[in-house]
Amino acid sequence: MIQFQNVSKQYPTGQLALYNINLALTTGEMAFLTGHSGAGKSTLLKLIAMLERPNQGEIIVNGQSINRIKQRQIPNFRRHIGMIFQNHHLLMDRSVFENIALPLRISGLHHRDIRRRVQASLDKVSLLNKQKANPMMLSAGEQQRVGIARAVVNKPTIILADEPTGNLDPELAEDIMRTFQQFNELGATVLIASHDHSLIERMKKRIIVLQKIIH
Amino acid sequence: MTTNSRPTNQKDRNKPAFISWWNHVNTAMSFSLRRLWFNPISTWITLAAIAIALSLPTGLHLFLKNLQTLTDDQRQIPTVSLFLHEGVTEQQAQDRADLISELDGVTKVIVQNSEVAFAHMSELMGGKETLESLGKQNIFPHVLVVTPDLSLSDERHIPIQELIKTLKSYPEVKSAQSDIEWVVKLRAIIMIATRIVWVFGSLLGLTVLLVVGNTIRLDIENRKEEIDVTRFIGGTRAYIRRPFIFGGLWYGLFGGIISLVVVHTSLLFLIPPVDKLAKLYSSHFTLSGLDFTTTFYILIISCSLGVLGAWVAVSRHLRKQEVIL
Ligand SMILES: Nc1ncnc2c1ncn2[C@@H]1O[C@H](COP(=O)(O)OP(=O)(O)OP(=O)(O)O)[C@@H](O)[C@H]1O
Ligand SMILES: [Mg+2]
Repeated sequence: MIQFQNVSKQYPTGQLALYNINLALTTGEMAFLTGHSGAGKSTLLKLIAMLERPNQGEIIVNGQSINRIKQRQIPNFRRHIGMIFQNHHLLMDRSVFENIALPLRISGLHHRDIRRRVQASLDKVSLLNKQKANPMMLSAGEQQRVGIARAVVNKPTIILADEPTGNLDPELAEDIMRTFQQFNELGATVLIASHDHSLIERMKKRIIVLQKIIH
Repeated sequence: MTTNSRPTNQKDRNKPAFISWWNHVNTAMSFSLRRLWFNPISTWITLAAIAIALSLPTGLHLFLKNLQTLTDDQRQIPTVSLFLHEGVTEQQAQDRADLISELDGVTKVIVQNSEVAFAHMSELMGGKETLESLGKQNIFPHVLVVTPDLSLSDERHIPIQELIKTLKSYPEVKSAQSDIEWVVKLRAIIMIATRIVWVFGSLLGLTVLLVVGNTIRLDIENRKEEIDVTRFIGGTRAYIRRPFIFGGLWYGLFGGIISLVVVHTSLLFLIPPVDKLAKLYSSHFTLSGLDFTTTFYILIISCSLGVLGAWVAVSRHLRKQEVIL
């Protein structure tokens, strides 16, 4: 369950990114987040993953107010969230395999399990043949899929995706959305920020529209 | 979601927590080693700097230690030689020696029989015949070689002089000769030099700390992206810190090992000429290397410095990061 109560976020620069947001997603729900560029989609996702803190209001994730999560509990909290970043945040100094293995290494898994799960995850995004490649050598769409594989490899209960299909051709985009749907069917709560209106309408899921704040 | 992130609090999951900790440590160790291996230039420069900084105090320490053995009791120096009057019999000499050895501040007394001294001298001069052909009789008196206990004389050398005065006052003693003066002076010098080694050691230890700290700091700068991503996907501080700490440990360990190699190589280089010199003084002195304990301590110190330097660098970075979160 994800719940926003009167949440506002203003960046230290003075930019007001979100104003008085109220929102509720039930556990196991899949929804799309849309809105103009600069409407605050990325900010909203970052607030859920505690990558940013709200200035006002309360955010409740899985029954717990995240304002009350202590600094040292944040890492464990984040491990239950699979986040796909708008700019991938892949590490260019290591292979695709190692990038996807990172969340598993953080969880302290043994290499055997890591190998198995990374390969399963790569298989889901059809990149099994690229596991030894460096992310720099991949196309933008392939990089995005590596980001997705990394986000889901640890079987998170919440998946947050920021423009996961931005660089993909329509078929692959739809494929990826179906993959998210599968994770959703397995019980994960999924929230996806996307511009691709025709695609998200075809998915027949709830669509949340963020209005840009006009000063 | 509310489970505590500290593994120690999860009693029922103790075993997996330990295993995951062990896997973390393994990953961090191999990862940090690989990073050193694949950045050979910066690694070697850092290691060389550490090794040099460690070799200097270690070398000085070794030099002093060897100098100190020169004044060791087993080496028969320093001693006070008491030349007895010609009329004194061997028995009288022996009795006096026994009495002297009872005195405070005396470790040992040896009676040097005049016959033996004569024979030894003859040998040195190239055979008994040479001396005899020169018309020399055995003109050597009996000699008592007194080895004083120098532990009393470390701070003030007055007791030694008192002792010499006492020894001289015995009726059998004609004259006394001592090589104690220079030993006492040498000891004083060694004491000052030891302090200097400590000062140098501390400064150069600080250098190691700074070198490792700075290397790790640069490494952190280069890996900002990685640290951020790790934080974004749930890496704890300990997880982020660990490979850097191991990095510091490797720098300390390998730097320490290299410095030991440097010191021992220099030592091998010095041994032949020193032996030659010692032979000229008919001394058994040889240079001795670092013993096991000292080697161990040096490695412990260098590893600790490496870890500490890395710790400071990483903690500083993580503290800065906290504001951004
Ligand atoms: N780190 C930041 N510091 C200051 N301002 C920021 C920061 N991140 C975002 N903003 C501002 O907050 C507003 C919302 O940004 P956000 O990235 O959430 O938009 P978005 O809906 O994701 O846009 P897009 O569709 O282009 O990705 C923008 O006006 C942006 O300039
Ligand atoms: Mg965005």
